[in-house]
Amino acid sequence: MGDNVARRGSPMRCIMSCFEPRWPNIRPASIRPGTPVRGGPRMGTATLLMTTNRSSPGLGEGEQDSGGSDVRLTLPARPENVAVVRHVLGAFAEALQLPDPVIEDMRLAVTEACTNVVRHAYSDGDPGPVEILIRPEGDTLQVIVSDEGRGLGPGGDSAGPGLGLPLIAALSHSLEIEQAPSSGSRLSMSFLRAPRRMELA
Amino acid sequence: MSGGAPVPGEPLTTVSIVAGPLVGPVLRRVVGMLAARADLPLDRLDDAVLVADLIAARAPAHMAGSRVDVALEPGPRSLSLRVGPLRAGGGQALIVDAAVPGVGNVIEQLADELSVSPEADGEFLLVRLAYAATAA
Repeated sequence: MGDNVARRGSPMRCIMSCFEPRWPNIRPASIRPGTPVRGGPRMGTATLLMTTNRSSPGLGEGEQDSGGSDVRLTLPARPENVAVVRHVLGAFAEALQLPDPVIEDMRLAVTEACTNVVRHAYSDGDPGPVEILIRPEGDTLQVIVSDEGRGLGPGGDSAGPGLGLPLIAALSHSLEIEQAPSSGSRLSMSFLRAPRRMELA
Repeated sequence: MSGGAPVPGEPLTTVSIVAGPLVGPVLRRVVGMLAARADLPLDRLDDAVLVADLIAARAPAHMAGSRVDVALEPGPRSLSLRVGPLRAGGGQALIVDAAVPGVGNVIEQLADELSVSPEADGEFLLVRLAYAATAA
């Protein structure tokens, strides 16, 4: 991961241009590491990582061996399976007794991430896998959505407003977007397990 | 929408959960949703969820590792579960563990097909539930 972070300078500018057709609201200035994505109470950070050495588009090696109380779900990237993911998130959140606002934010953000995979990652009629890892980490909950598709790039097949990624960035505490060219993408988002004081006020 | 029937070449649905309190809530929901999508009638859907609960409760003691891994394959009015890898002898032990005093072995009574398959990386328990009218 360290290598990827060190390498992100110029590739980021390059890859951001790929975002524009599909997600016009994402701009390099708003996604620079450590920079607030949006003002307001849910201010978080978004990071874009360009990966060139990932052999597998799925989860990293360390994540595969996580000994924590995590859930890993792999499904064909079909629209009806997004509901399964939402349902599993509900079960997870219920078991951890997460507050309702956190559950709703998480559900919406993960739904957007999974919908992006369903709509853009694979060619029509040939759905590959979408993998979801849900893992509590201290006072945050990490959710990683990854695929083995064509990666992030110009879509051309979406008539939508391109609000998915900005919405995920706004709802999550932090967001990392990683892609290996021609072997999938990976969105890693985290959510605070308890709403911040500012949100409660 | 394929009505739950598997599409050739499509990846399987798999769920992998660290043994603990999350296994039951997560597994029962995944099984319930896939059983509903496979168009199983309500009583068989209920059976499928009961089997999922039993697997969630008993399987951790018999798994080869610290996770409960289940692959699910919905078919036309059927749902197959593949639990494992289990440790050696774990498949049969899991079936025996599913016995409830006064009721008998619940998985054996509910499943249309039940088998243990030894493979290179361990044993796998295969459970298939189907609507009686279409059961193979």
